[in-house]
Amino acid sequence: MSNKFSRRDFLKLTGVGAATTAILTGCGPASRYVKREPYMQMPEYNYNGLSTFYATTCRECAAGCGLIVRTSQGRAIKTEGNANNPLNLGKTCARGQATLHGLYNPDRVTDPMKGDSKITWDEATQVVADALKNNKPEEIAFLMGTAPDHLFDFVSDLANAAGINVPVRFNALSMFESRATLSKAAENLFGKTGLPFFDVGGAQIVLSFGANFLETWLSPVSYTRGFAGLREAQTKMRGKFVQFEATMSSTAGKADEWIPLKPGTEAMVALAIGKLAAEMKGVSASAFEGANPEDAAKKSGIKLEALEHIAEMFAHSGGALAIPGGAALGQSNGLAVAEAVLALNALADNFGKVGGVYISALAPMQTEYHGPASAQEMQDFIKNMADGKFKVLFVHGVNPVFELPAALGFKAALKGVGQVISFSTFPDETAAEANYVFPDHHGLESWGYQRVATGAAQPVLSGAQPVVSPFYNTRATIDLLLAAGQIAGGKFALTFKDEVEFLQSKVAPLMNEADGFFSAPDINTFMASFQQYGGWWKTTDGRTVPAAADVLNKSMSGAESKFAGEGEFFFVPFVSPTLAEAGANKPWLQELPDPTTTVMWNTWVAMNPKTAEEMGIEDDDVVRIVSEFGELEVPVYKYPAIRPDTIAIPFGQGHTAYGRYAENRGVNPTDLLGQNFNEAGDLAFAGVKVKIEKTGKKKPLSRLESIMGVYGVGMGEEH
Amino acid sequence: MIKRLFDWLIQPLGLIAVSIAVLALFSLAAYGINTTQQPPAQPIQFPHRTHIAFGVQCLYCHPGAARGPAAGIPSQSKCWGCHQQIAKTNDPKSELRFLKAAVESGTPIQWIPVAQVPDFVQFNHRAHIAAGKNCEDCHGDMTNLTLAENPQVFNMGWCLACHVKNAGDDHAKLVKLTDCGTCHY
Amino acid sequence: MIRPEEIKMSSEETGKWGMVIDQDICTGCQACVAACAMENNVTFVGEVDSGYGRSMHWIRIERFWEGEYPEVKMTPNQPMLCQQCGHATCEPVCPAFATVHSQSEQLNLQVYNRCVGTRYCANNCPYQVRSFNWRDYERPEPLPNQFNPDVTVRRRGVMEKCTFCIQRIHKAQDKAKSEGREVVDGEFTTACAQACPASAITFGRIDNPESLVSQLGHRSHGVKHLEELGTLPNITYYKGG
Repeated sequence: MSNKFSRRDFLKLTGVGAATTAILTGCGPASRYVKREPYMQMPEYNYNGLSTFYATTCRECAAGCGLIVRTSQGRAIKTEGNANNPLNLGKTCARGQATLHGLYNPDRVTDPMKGDSKITWDEATQVVADALKNNKPEEIAFLMGTAPDHLFDFVSDLANAAGINVPVRFNALSMFESRATLSKAAENLFGKTGLPFFDVGGAQIVLSFGANFLETWLSPVSYTRGFAGLREAQTKMRGKFVQFEATMSSTAGKADEWIPLKPGTEAMVALAIGKLAAEMKGVSASAFEGANPEDAAKKSGIKLEALEHIAEMFAHSGGALAIPGGAALGQSNGLAVAEAVLALNALADNFGKVGGVYISALAPMQTEYHGPASAQEMQDFIKNMADGKFKVLFVHGVNPVFELPAALGFKAALKGVGQVISFSTFPDETAAEANYVFPDHHGLESWGYQRVATGAAQPVLSGAQPVVSPFYNTRATIDLLLAAGQIAGGKFALTFKDEVEFLQSKVAPLMNEADGFFSAPDINTFMASFQQYGGWWKTTDGRTVPAAADVLNKSMSGAESKFAGEGEFFFVPFVSPTLAEAGANKPWLQELPDPTTTVMWNTWVAMNPKTAEEMGIEDDDVVRIVSEFGELEVPVYKYPAIRPDTIAIPFGQGHTAYGRYAENRGVNPTDLLGQNFNEAGDLAFAGVKVKIEKTGKKKPLSRLESIMGVYGVGMGEEH
Repeated sequence: MIKRLFDWLIQPLGLIAVSIAVLALFSLAAYGINTTQQPPAQPIQFPHRTHIAFGVQCLYCHPGAARGPAAGIPSQSKCWGCHQQIAKTNDPKSELRFLKAAVESGTPIQWIPVAQVPDFVQFNHRAHIAAGKNCEDCHGDMTNLTLAENPQVFNMGWCLACHVKNAGDDHAKLVKLTDCGTCHY
Repeated sequence: MIRPEEIKMSSEETGKWGMVIDQDICTGCQACVAACAMENNVTFVGEVDSGYGRSMHWIRIERFWEGEYPEVKMTPNQPMLCQQCGHATCEPVCPAFATVHSQSEQLNLQVYNRCVGTRYCANNCPYQVRSFNWRDYERPEPLPNQFNPDVTVRRRGVMEKCTFCIQRIHKAQDKAKSEGREVVDGEFTTACAQACPASAITFGRIDNPESLVSQLGHRSHGVKHLEELGTLPNITYYKGG
């Protein structure tokens, strides 16, 4: 080395030195010597390095799809659909796949909590026992998720025995699905309650009025299979699909024809199509007599020729089917829309036929349809809470503070309840407001069953079993209630030893039922098969045929719906197909691009590009949206397939709690909704008009169709 | 500041200091490499040789090797199956006191795996056993060993040399056994 | 340099494993994307990095727009993943031989331990299906409990892409061999095909004329993307409609 040892050379030398150190120590003992713990006692069906598979039920939504979970060394690795389960036949949706990110989420509730401090399960049991014992039975209320599961049966039994309030089921999906409207329309037209089932797979032409059946509606996996059947073109003619909707949802994106009708004119349009089709068929139907196709065309913004063309397809097709759902029912005249669209099916004469309308099969052990609470019934529930009629409220499987419109006042009404006890596995908004959180196991760690409300031809009871042992100090809610019941004594002391014994007592009668997928001579064999196959179902079709006789003679109303508020834009909230109501805490669901806009990790408002241009609004501009019930600020996505007078916001984000991946991300469109119901008591969530104000702020949206780093656009941070 | 540091470094004394630093670095690294080649300390000085002398087959304790990717470490209940009937287990001076303590207290013994491949290698025991390899072909002769040791470094050259030798003249087999995707994915 | 007359077209089937994707029934529901991420330990990158196009999706659903409102149309959803080209453009540009062609499985491999992160391959891929680990993305405990032990967890500076679930291929082959038989068509499939609620994805041996994927692949209106580049892609798309 000479005296001309420059700074450059010095840096080179240090660089080489550092690299050498890094490389050499990288092979050092620290990274090499991992520890391995053998099993204390290895299960005999287990081998090191080989996977074990368990059948269970997906708890991400109320559909009740069967899962097969691959586990390795006591860890759940992957979920697949259960090919035996007639509902999903081995398939899953994205949420079913990501359920493991809920199980191993870093933000779960790990212990029973009193406020912010951990308590023991003994203390927790005492709290529940005191709550049951020290209050009058009519002051005790249970609020649960939509899924009609074993816990619902247990609490119903407890309610029967001890005289407490019958458990109320509710969830945002059932609200946005307008389940109450569907079953009410079926009752009005067919004289029988039940969820209609639409056999999309067997149809040749499907007219869907707002039903987002390829996203989250009722049973998306089953309906997607139906859609694949509709489009199948090897053994039959490829079926056609027309969607009437003000904004192009990802379901509408798959339609052969998307008809962007004016919100509120769905009933009118359905009746007009009915009238035209009836004339073409030469059928007289008084239901459609009041309709005026020219007028409907004008008011809905659809060309008369288009209506005639659709009516012609509908009239002359061998398998015509019309589906009401989604935003079309979430309006002040939602019930009329549902009836008008069901009447179209009467005209197509498809009741109980392949490609037609059925009433869904009742699940095993079920004698009549029992739907979840409508938003209006929830309003009554909230009133009881606020009036102090409930001294203790148990919440399980639902997050009403987030899922119900804030204007309905659930959060404030909680103050009127003496004691709120949440069984949530997650620190959600409702758990944050609760006095106690006594976490249940995650769905993959727990026993149970779930009745399949719709989607399968057979009556199906999907069975659940733990696929891994509980990861945290959690306890099954039934076990907790049983233990507390023993302490409380009296009518609360049910005789079951634990959750599994209760489960057995419930499914035992199925052993004697005919046409089972399997049968067994004794309960132990039966339970083993129940776990192995992931439930029990019949091999026979359990769907019933709606009574068609009178439908076409009923009088139908095609009046336009009424909108709350003065704004110039129709507002269409829709459930995010990837996040839905409870997916925001799972990081991979956040990173799934929305199928229509490809936006990830955030909420947007979809606006027609022309409208945005006229208002001087660009992509990513934050606008304030004001309705009669509330307001929120959200960035704009210029969406090419939405009516100029309509805006749409996905529901799923906007959490204030619910773990690190969900918190303070996006907005909740239910903030713009309020006491605005249809005749069936469902929330008229698409019956609100809103104003848009510019804020001058910008919030770049993260999209798969990325524009970041290009054209000088950035996320606001240097990266 | 930096200029002054340079000035000092390029003096003979500075150069010596740099040389010492470099030397220290390299000897440290050499030591690091050396330690990777030593068998790690185990919680129990498990005598493979004694077990083999009693006629216990490898696959009795490591049955996973014949069935799947991992040979596995036997569960404690398996150890105990034999050892609870052996008088020496109760000898408080013997190495077996650790086993007894672990089984009685219900705490798993934390073994240190010896024969390891890096995370980016997907190794499958079953295929090797099925191809007629014996355990000792890779893991060495255990009849004289107490703790397991590696008779050779498990690196790619060593794997491939054997793969090529075994493929012989069978071209299809050679393609399969030297394909990157056979082990790396 | 390949001259145009040397370009092989899809009529000359060269691959081993292949896929048929029916875009007419793909609903864009993202189940395949989630299934792939769960099976292959694909990391999520967060809002900011995904905004910059650094998300790690091995499969993505593309959709485009045609026309303007009200005559606007969403083109059929197009699941885009590594086409496992028979003549891949990513392979010859890798200076480290980290992306090589598997002679035994006829797949494009990505050997993580060889990859030095030049990103030449991603820049040369006409399908834009390779993703690069720009950081060591955090997956806080206990999320790593979910990792698939059959797939390497990648780290910063490494390129990755769809492998046609090669771990499942090997597992099926291993099982078949242990039972002394050949792998049966439909015995296993990729994570995306297994999850797809519409069964829009079919996977299997395209060199076996009896397999379902070959049968479907011989329908007349199938398209192989960018095959005019001579890449010999092994995925056939049906637009339908």
